[in-house]
Amino acid sequence: MIENILQGLMYPFLFLSMYFQVLLLISFFENKKKIKHEEKHEVKDYPSVTIAVPCWNEEKTLAATLDSLLKLDYPKDKLSIIVVDDGSKDNTLQIAKEYAEKYSSQITALTKENGGKHTAVNLALENAKGELFGCLDADSFVSPKSLKIIASYFDVDKNTMAVTPCIHIRNPRTIIQRMQAIEYLMGVFLRKAFGQLDAIQVTPGPFSIFRQEIFSKIGNYRKAHNTEDFEITLRMHKAHLKIVNSHKALVYTVGPSTAKGFFYQRLRWARGFLENSLDYKELFFKKEYGNFGMFTLPMAFLFMFYGLYAALFSLFSLVSQLTIIFSKWLTVGIHPSVPTFDIFYFNTTVMSFVVMVMLTMFLLVLYIGNTLSDDKQEFYHNFPIFFVTYPLFVPLFIGRAIIDTLMKRKNEWVLQDTKESVNR
Amino acid sequence: MIDAKKYIFTFVITFAIFTTAFFTSTFFSNKRVENVKSIQDNIAIDILSSETQFSLLGEVPCSNISDNILSPELSALGDKLSRTESERGSNDADVVYLKKYYSLLQIKDYLLSKKLVSKCGATKKPVFIIYFYSNKGDCADCEKEGFVLTRLKEMYPDLRVYSFDYNLDLAALDSMKTIYRIKSSLPALVIEDKTYIGFKSIEDLTDLLPDTLKTAEESSTTTKATTSKRVK
Repeated sequence: MIENILQGLMYPFLFLSMYFQVLLLISFFENKKKIKHEEKHEVKDYPSVTIAVPCWNEEKTLAATLDSLLKLDYPKDKLSIIVVDDGSKDNTLQIAKEYAEKYSSQITALTKENGGKHTAVNLALENAKGELFGCLDADSFVSPKSLKIIASYFDVDKNTMAVTPCIHIRNPRTIIQRMQAIEYLMGVFLRKAFGQLDAIQVTPGPFSIFRQEIFSKIGNYRKAHNTEDFEITLRMHKAHLKIVNSHKALVYTVGPSTAKGFFYQRLRWARGFLENSLDYKELFFKKEYGNFGMFTLPMAFLFMFYGLYAALFSLFSLVSQLTIIFSKWLTVGIHPSVPTFDIFYFNTTVMSFVVMVMLTMFLLVLYIGNTLSDDKQEFYHNFPIFFVTYPLFVPLFIGRAIIDTLMKRKNEWVLQDTKESVNR
Repeated sequence: MIDAKKYIFTFVITFAIFTTAFFTSTFFSNKRVENVKSIQDNIAIDILSSETQFSLLGEVPCSNISDNILSPELSALGDKLSRTESERGSNDADVVYLKKYYSLLQIKDYLLSKKLVSKCGATKKPVFIIYFYSNKGDCADCEKEGFVLTRLKEMYPDLRVYSFDYNLDLAALDSMKTIYRIKSSLPALVIEDKTYIGFKSIEDLTDLLPDTLKTAEESSTTTKATTSKRVK
């Protein structure tokens, strides 16, 4: 009985999920020519850019992050870097100062008392004098061409106010990182397709670039439940400011390497999403906010709950099957036999066909993501890992995020077990 | 700007995919029912043929009766029917029809077995268990009993198990219930004309089975082992 009700509820979820996937694929394919055209645009006069590097105890990765910025293929006189030490207790400030001395024309090192990432970025903003302003987390690394590519998007359309990059997981080694490699690959397609709908959901911390003038219009970064990058995106949509995606501007970020680290990162993101969405509930179902207000934001909000339900349903089905196997084992023991092939026993329910179509579409999304990006990922190897492990995490972090939000628990940065896994 | 046409077009495509999935699933499900029906028809012919053989060879010695007089497909059919029931649901009209047909075939096969016993006695005596279950959620041990009987059939391939859904509305089945005094307490098993109520483990049932079945199985295993040694 319960299983029938749960199964019945799965169909609207599957329909909505497929609708969402089809919409994004249509948007992508109808703009394919435009996307090709974007890639060819060249800039004659590059705008001046300030890149903020907020850091808190990032002595292990800061130097590599700064090196990657210094290697950017961009006119040196047009690129300035502001490292903001947010009250680190390790050697972060010392490293920042060394770089500031060595590359004094390009790098400035600032320090302040610990106040959170948004305060560090805002300090950089106050000292920034360029036309464009961006941020690069101190555990992320840019490819040399990325800034020129991003600049071309601002040049081609003067109404473009922010450009998001293409993010990959840097050297995925552990199972958890390999799982995220697939998730980020999916993000490559999603960001592009959302961009075609003027409905980009988030301007991620690693190397999203803004026209600096927007901050005087909409204000600086806020704490925003520790997800300032999502909040500023909501504020931009509210002010009708255009955000696009540059799929060839590659950025690499260090993903959490452990299950615990991944869980706490996603818990923070999920809570930030829920709480910021509630703070900006006036955007929901308002025609004036276009596809973002009418469709993608409400759908993303709904999927938080439906995702939890779908994961719990899958878990319930798995537990039911395991209970039967366990009961059989207790009753008659295990007597393995060679399975016989009979087409009669193939699963031919409506749900199995729909899930097969969705899985095919998901693989298509990954394939497109891989084709769009200049750095081809080995997703065939990582896909099975993603398929098995990711659904285990979803009910955990979404469920906990919903409970914490309802209980009004404090949303805090939770330090992961390894410094490498911190992704601010 | 919202492009309403795109949203409608997306809806049409998604709806088309779901509709295709629905019709494909229905197509395969109907094919499955047809497959079960065709097997049932084959078994019906087998049983009719066996009954005719009995009538024709009324006075002929048992040695002239072929070894495969009882249909070997009956057990496999039960598995397929069970699969069809789990996919379409117990209340599905086709499933109910197939189960009634299957129950009748089992009763016919059972009667044939009895005939064989009365004619040939111990020489060709088939051993069978009649099993009454319910899948309405009112029989906690029925699933476990099913595991036990499946395992028992694996251990003794000559054993015939006739499974009947207690709740099936079928006059012939009601007669079986009356003969063996089966009430609503389930699972219920009939072995050697004796009724047992409640869950019986593998050990319990092995003790209740006649020695001829176990001896036949042991000698078959020994022969197989000897043959394989000779091949080596």
